[in-house]
Amino acid sequence: MTYAVRCASVRFGDTLALDNVSLQVEPGAVLAVVGGDGAGKTTLLRALVGQAQLATGEVDAPPAEAIGYMPATAGSWSSLSVAQNMDFVGGIYGLSGNALTSRRDELLDRASLGSSIDQLASALSGGMRRKLGFSLAMLHDPPLLVLDEPSTGIDPVSRIDLWRMVSEAAAAGAAVVMSTTYLDEAERAAHLLVLDGGRTLASGTLADVLDSFDGAISTTARPRRRAWAWRRGREYHEYWPTTAGVPIDAAAVTPDLEDVVVTLSMLKRHESELAS
Amino acid sequence: MRAMIVKEFRELRRDRRTLALLIAMPLLLLVIFGYAANFHVDSVQAAVVGPQATQVAARLPSFFDVTVTQPSEGQTNAEQLLQDRTVNVAIVTGRAPVLALVDGSNLFAAQSIVSVLNKEGNTVSTRILYNPELKTSWVMVPAIIGIILTFIGTIVTSIGLVRERETGTLEQLAVMPIKPSAVILGKISPYFLVAAFDMTIITGLGMLLFGVPFNGNAFVFMLGAALFLFVVLGLGVFISTVSHTAGQAIQTAVMFLLPQILLSGMIFPLDSMAAGVRWIGYLLPLTYFTMISQGVMLRGASLASLWLPFLVLTVMAAVVFFGATLRFRRDLAPRRRHSTVAVEPATVSSVHQAGNGA
Amino acid sequence: MTTTSASEGNPTTLLAADRVGRKFKDFTAVDDVTLRVGPGEVVGLLGANGAGKTTLIRMLLGLLATTVGEVELLGGPPDRQLRRRLGYVPQGLGLYRDLTVAENLAFSAQAYETAVPELPESLRPVADRLIADLPLGLQRQLAFLSALAHSPEVLVLDEPTSGVDALARAALWDTIHEQAEAGVGVLVTTHNMAEAEQCDRLLLMSHARLVAQGSQTDIIGSTTAIAIRTNDWARAFAVLNQAGQPVMLSGRDVRVADADADQVRAVLADAGMSAEVFGVPATIEERMMVLARGPKAP
Repeated sequence: MTYAVRCASVRFGDTLALDNVSLQVEPGAVLAVVGGDGAGKTTLLRALVGQAQLATGEVDAPPAEAIGYMPATAGSWSSLSVAQNMDFVGGIYGLSGNALTSRRDELLDRASLGSSIDQLASALSGGMRRKLGFSLAMLHDPPLLVLDEPSTGIDPVSRIDLWRMVSEAAAAGAAVVMSTTYLDEAERAAHLLVLDGGRTLASGTLADVLDSFDGAISTTARPRRRAWAWRRGREYHEYWPTTAGVPIDAAAVTPDLEDVVVTLSMLKRHESELAS
Repeated sequence: MRAMIVKEFRELRRDRRTLALLIAMPLLLLVIFGYAANFHVDSVQAAVVGPQATQVAARLPSFFDVTVTQPSEGQTNAEQLLQDRTVNVAIVTGRAPVLALVDGSNLFAAQSIVSVLNKEGNTVSTRILYNPELKTSWVMVPAIIGIILTFIGTIVTSIGLVRERETGTLEQLAVMPIKPSAVILGKISPYFLVAAFDMTIITGLGMLLFGVPFNGNAFVFMLGAALFLFVVLGLGVFISTVSHTAGQAIQTAVMFLLPQILLSGMIFPLDSMAAGVRWIGYLLPLTYFTMISQGVMLRGASLASLWLPFLVLTVMAAVVFFGATLRFRRDLAPRRRHSTVAVEPATVSSVHQAGNGA
Repeated sequence: MTTTSASEGNPTTLLAADRVGRKFKDFTAVDDVTLRVGPGEVVGLLGANGAGKTTLIRMLLGLLATTVGEVELLGGPPDRQLRRRLGYVPQGLGLYRDLTVAENLAFSAQAYETAVPELPESLRPVADRLIADLPLGLQRQLAFLSALAHSPEVLVLDEPTSGVDALARAALWDTIHEQAEAGVGVLVTTHNMAEAEQCDRLLLMSHARLVAQGSQTDIIGSTTAIAIRTNDWARAFAVLNQAGQPVMLSGRDVRVADADADQVRAVLADAGMSAEVFGVPATIEERMMVLARGPKAP
C-alpha cells in the first residue's frame, strides 16, 4: 500500500510552513525530500507521522507501531548507553528477551556500532549517533521509515554508511521517506520531492525532474545576466528561458539536478518579488 | 573590553528569567520581608476551662483573645484543644495555682505567652506541651522535610523532564506507541520514590540528632507527604512545560521555592505577618504540609483535626498535577486528520511473535 | 626578516604548514601534514570524522600548539596580532543567538576595531531581529559579513554551507569566489562533496595524514565502483550484501564501491541472477570510505 500526504498545508501563526504539498511513497522505495533550512521538510515529515496539525489536506499513514521515526535532533538518549537506548526503545515496541538482543546486535553490527555497545550516546561522534538513531527507528522493522535530515552535518563516510542502511531497509521492503539538504543523496533516491519555502518545486523520479526542465543552461566565464547566473567552480552557470536564447559564444551544458533546483528557486523568488 | 560589556548587557536585557531573579526577586523579597518578618506576636487565641472559666477569662490581659470558654470541662479537654490547635494556650481553672497549658509547637506564640504569663507570678503555673524546652530545631525539622520534598519535586523533576525537550527526544517519544500518561508517570515515579526515601532518612536523622519526637500516626504523616508530593511534582511538570533548558527550569523552580521558605510560616509565624502579606502564605502548599508535619510529629494531631491542610492539599494536588500533565500532553502533540492505513500483519507482528516466543 | 622554511621563501603564502604533527596522550591527531594556501586560492579540506581536520585548523589558527613542525599565518607563527588579519567562520557560526543582527555586527566590529559594515539588501529588513529568529541561510550570510568586515587577507571557513538550500549555497559561494578574486586566500572544509568542484585545489585527510592532493580525479585516485542494473534490484542488493560487499542503492541501480566486476558477476551468478554489470566512476565519498575501511583482507 502507498503512504501519502495529500495537499497538506500547515500554518504556524501567520507563516505558512507548508503550502499544498503532497508526497507519496511505496514499500521498497526511498523518497528523498530535498530543500534547505526553512523549506518545510521537517513540517512535512511531522505531518506524515501525525505530529503536525494540518490546516488542510490529509495523511494516509499507518499507526504508531508501524512507523519508525528519526527526528532531526539527536534521536537518542544522551545519558544512556547504546545498548540501553536499544533496550528502552525495544521495550516500548514490545520486543524483549532474545528476540530483542539478536535484533539489536544485528542492527548495531550493520551500523558498525557493535564495538561501542556500552558507550554513552553522548560520547559518540555525530555520525555514529545518527546511525544509532537510525537503528532505534529500525528496531521494530517498521513498514514506514521516516528520517528527518539524518545526514546533515555528518561526515561523508558516515553518510555512505547511513545511505547503505537506508538502502537495506528499502531492499527489505520498507517504505522510506528521508529529508536531506544534499542533492547527491536526492539523486540516489528512487523518487524526489524538492521543497522551497513550503512549496513544491519539483517531484518525481530524477529523470522526470530533469526532463521537465524548461530552458537551457550555459557555462561561461562572464555571465550576461548576473541575476540569473551562479558559480560552479571558477565558471558560472547561466539560465536561459529558451535554448534559442543561449548566446553563440557560450557553451550549453546538460542541466544536472543542482542546475534545475537553483533555477526553479530563482524563478520562484522572481515570481514572489513580482507579486509583492 | 567595552564591546564585551555592551554585549553582555544586551544579552542580559533579553534574558527575562535571569532579570526576574536578579531584580524582581530581591525587590519582592525585601517588601515581603518588611511586612512578614515579625517575630513579635501581638495576640494569641486562648481557651479557658474549669469552674472559674468566665471570671478568669474576663481578667486576662488583652493579649489573650479568649475564643473558647468551657466552665464544665477540665484539663483533658484543654489538652485536646491544644492538640487540635484550636487555641495556642488553654487555661485550666478550678485549682491553685491556675494551670496554663501552652502549645510548644507554635514557637513564637509560645515564647510570647510564657513571657506574659511570667509577669503574673505565682498565681499561674505554666506548662509547655509538645516542645517543653521550646527548641527551634523541633519546630524547624518538620518544616525542612517539606522544603526537601519541594526541592526534589520542583527542581529535580523539572530538570529531568526538560532534558527530553533539550535533546529533542521528546519528539521521538511523541511518535512512538507510548501513551502520554505512561511517559509522565514513568518519568516522575523515580522522583517520587527518591523523595519518599529522602523524607524517611531526614525524619529519622532529625529525630536522632535533635531528639525531635514523632508523637503521631505515621500513616497520617505519610498520607500528607504523598499529597504534598503530588503538588510539588505537578509543579515540576508545569515548570518543565514552560522551560526550554535546564538552566531556565532551575531559575523558575527557585522562584517558586524561595517565597515558600519565607512565607510558609517556617521562619516567621503566619499569625504575625501583616494581613496584606499573610494571604500569600495561605496560597503556598508548603504552609499546609508544615501544619501537617508539625502537627503529627510534635502534637500527635489526628487526621480529623488536620482536615483543613489535608483538604487544601488534596485540591491543590488535583488541580496542579492534572493541569500540568494536560499541558505536558500537549507537547506530546495530538494526532489529527489522520486516516490509518491497514498494515499487512506479516510485517508488524512477525517481530512481535518472535518476541513473544522468547 | 628571516624567511622560515615553512613558506620556502615565498612571502605571499598566506597559510602554511610544514610537516606538522600533533600528538595527544594516547593518539596522533595530525601526522606529517604539509600544505599551502596562497592569495586568490580556494582550497578545500576534506576528510572523514576524526581524520584530523579540526585539529589541523586549530593549529593553523594558533589556538593549539604543534608537537612537530611549523605553522605560519601571514608569514609568521600565528598570534593574536596576525589573527586580526584573518577571518574565521566556525561551524557553529559564532553568532550570539540572543542578540539582533545589528548588535552582533556591532560587537564584532568593535572587537576588531573596524567600522560596522553596511547591511546587504537581504539582511536589511531583519536588522533588528534576534539571531535565534533568523533562518539558517540568513544566519550564515551574517556570519560571513561579520568575518569579512575587517577586510581579512585570509579566510578560514568551517562547513560554511551546511544545511542551506541550493540557491543560498550558490550565493555563499559567490561571496567566497569574490573574495578569492580580490586576492584573499580561502581554506574551506566541507562534507558536501558537490562543493569540491568549487575549489581550486583539494586536500584529503584520512587517519591524521594527508593522503591526496589536487583535483577531484587526483583525490578519487584509483578507486573504482561497479553498478548493477537489474529488475530484481532488491534481490541483487540482498545477495551482494550477504556476500559482504559494500553495497548501496543509486536510483534503481545497485552500486558497489571498490569491487571487482568479475567477482560481482560471480556472486550474482551463484545466486542464479543475471544482470548488467559495468564500471562507473567512483565518488570522493567512496574513496573516503575505502580509506576509512583500511587495507582489504587478502
